[in-house]
Amino acid sequence: MVRKHTRRAAKAAFAVSLGVALLIGVLASGAAAARRSAKPAIILGSKNFPEETLLGQIYGQVLRAKGFKVTYKASIGSTEVINPAITSGKINFYPEYTGTIVADLANESLPRSAKATWQKANAYEEKHGLKLLKYTPFEDVDTFTVLRSTATKYHLKTIGDMKKLKSFSYAGYPECKTRITCLLGLKNIYGLKQVKFVSIGNTIPVYTLLKEHKATAGDIFSTDPNLLGKTYTTLKDTKHIFGFQNVAPVVRQSLLKGSAGMLLESACNAVSKDLTLNAMLQMDKAVIVDKASPAYVAKRFLQANGLLK
Amino acid sequence: MIAGSTFLDTLRFIPHHAGLLLDKTGETAELSFAALGVALAIALPIGLWLGHKHRGLFFALGVSTLGRALPTVALIAFFLPLLGIGLWNNLAALVVLGVPPILTNAYFAVEGVEADAVEAARGMGLTELQILARVELPLGLPLLLAGLRIAAVFVIATATIAGIFGGGGLGEIIGDQGSYRLSGVLAASLFVAALALLTALAIAAVQRAAYRRMSPST
Amino acid sequence: MSRLAAGPIIPSFSQGSSCERNNGWFCTDWLHQHWGDTLQPALVQHVELTVIAVGVGFGISFLLALAGFRFRLFDLPIGVFADLLYTIPSLALFQLLVPLTGLTVTTVEVALISYTLFILYRNIVAGLRAVPDEVLESARGMGLTRLQTFIRVELPLAVPALMAGLRIATVSTVSIATVAAFVIPEGLGEPIFTGLQEDLFKTEILAAGLLAVALALGADLLLVLLARALTPWSRLT
Repeated sequence: MVRKHTRRAAKAAFAVSLGVALLIGVLASGAAAARRSAKPAIILGSKNFPEETLLGQIYGQVLRAKGFKVTYKASIGSTEVINPAITSGKINFYPEYTGTIVADLANESLPRSAKATWQKANAYEEKHGLKLLKYTPFEDVDTFTVLRSTATKYHLKTIGDMKKLKSFSYAGYPECKTRITCLLGLKNIYGLKQVKFVSIGNTIPVYTLLKEHKATAGDIFSTDPNLLGKTYTTLKDTKHIFGFQNVAPVVRQSLLKGSAGMLLESACNAVSKDLTLNAMLQMDKAVIVDKASPAYVAKRFLQANGLLK
Repeated sequence: MIAGSTFLDTLRFIPHHAGLLLDKTGETAELSFAALGVALAIALPIGLWLGHKHRGLFFALGVSTLGRALPTVALIAFFLPLLGIGLWNNLAALVVLGVPPILTNAYFAVEGVEADAVEAARGMGLTELQILARVELPLGLPLLLAGLRIAAVFVIATATIAGIFGGGGLGEIIGDQGSYRLSGVLAASLFVAALALLTALAIAAVQRAAYRRMSPST
Repeated sequence: MSRLAAGPIIPSFSQGSSCERNNGWFCTDWLHQHWGDTLQPALVQHVELTVIAVGVGFGISFLLALAGFRFRLFDLPIGVFADLLYTIPSLALFQLLVPLTGLTVTTVEVALISYTLFILYRNIVAGLRAVPDEVLESARGMGLTRLQTFIRVELPLAVPALMAGLRIATVSTVSIATVAAFVIPEGLGEPIFTGLQEDLFKTEILAAGLLAVALALGADLLLVLLARALTPWSRLT
């Protein structure tokens, strides 16, 4: 499963300081070598789910090919844990979702376009000595997804079309039910008062509930490989309650100085441009379903697109 | 202190969410008692019969060790692809956990009944089934109930894990700290503990009554 | 650039075996590939969690049992406390300890140790109490002091009950420790939860589950052998 709020995320909030203390110990070793060569050493962190590990590998391998020294720190934890790691300099690069920065770090409302979301996220990061590079075309966002058979039966195209149903259920992770970017948005912004929420705990993927006909609709992340087949249809979020969750590398500003900084930025932007939804779905599938290693998948993709020899 | 404020929040959480807590306690009780019922139906006949025959000591001991060794999380996860999400995967796992203590105790309860009493009954012309029902079962009842009590506490405390596998009940609150905060987790676990203790006390009361009924003869 | 607006080229990633791609129950290639990076480390962590929890739990409950045994007044409150600890669901206890001890192994250990107390305390006290009065009488008759009686008579005779308690505590700890991964990514529960999140990958769930069962049964067998070695006199029964 590709999750921005992993099962550990909720707990992490309560122990951030302690978690970070632990983290600092783990990462301290990597920080020392940072200032030797002309090209700054990159300590590349990633959060604790497969898509992040994959993204880390994608950016990391390209930077390595450009002559940067890259050290990987994979599976660091949720946003609440990895953010202090980069602000304190224990890592200096990690891929993050723009909407997550706005909602969870800046605690602001989600803007109504991908660009505005990136700008708001970047404004937050710049206040903390960081910078957000360009964002990817793909986004990994919550969705409103139904079985294709359901969509055909009721002629559903957008979330608003759900008004045609007298009652229906929506399955999601526990956090969903109290968020305006999720269940409350469906009720208050789309006016779908008839929705019944099915909480599924933190352990089981949502799509299984749809497959077993235990919920009409569900919150499946947009890069979940299960969406690749013909089983599910994602309804269009015309009112953008789910916001925008494109990926952009968060980088410490010190990395972006001089010609080396320009090289880093252009190399990353070139990669980001190619990370389309279909590309990510296929790569996530290779990692999550087919159990290929993230490093291998990243390399194959970069080579096929001339980004790596 | 974090702990102190959590405790105060918990005191507030309970009256505010009394309806929810009671609903979920009901669900947990339903699931647990259903599992205990099925476990009893499976384990009791086997345990009693083996004990009566004085056979299968190794089996009875092995089952109890194996029962403890099976990790609930793995068990529910294992049943998930087989039985789907919801009632059945969780019920199956809890039954598997409830069987061993009942079976083992039923075995030793009957097996340990004094041979003289059984022989006397046999001499009076009672059939094997009658001996089991009228002599061995009443004499072994306290030990058998002790097994049921262990199984009940075990199953109720474990039933919370079902909450994170779509099984509902108090575990749904305990597994959802994101929504209910630590105070909700604590409140729900107090309700689990209360349910487990009350059930254990009820069984213990029956057990004591069984002892009392026996004591004049011993 | 020769590529057009059609987007990036997606190469074939076919690396996993057909068993892995079809989510089989027992994909040997996956096991082979991930024994070193997933299963083995989890198993080692699990062994550490268990050994420390049972070891420390035994130390604490032994001291408590001494108090409960020597001063009957303490017995009831200590016993009730140990019982109450056991009714707190493990899923909750791991979370409740996080604000105090953080997202650390310590949190897992404190919870696991608490659960061993319930089992060990009861068994140790029962074992010490079970020494027949005649035996104590004759010990006193031989002129042994109270301490000597305890060390040379009561303690050795309590070993079988004590070992029985250790067996139950160890096996239960192995099982309960799998729940810990819901909160802290440690031990064999971690591959189980990961497998669940990665589209219910059966091989990973089953492999980690079986390892946990094997660990519990293996530890049980070791303790049976240890008990026999410690109590040569009881080998006849």
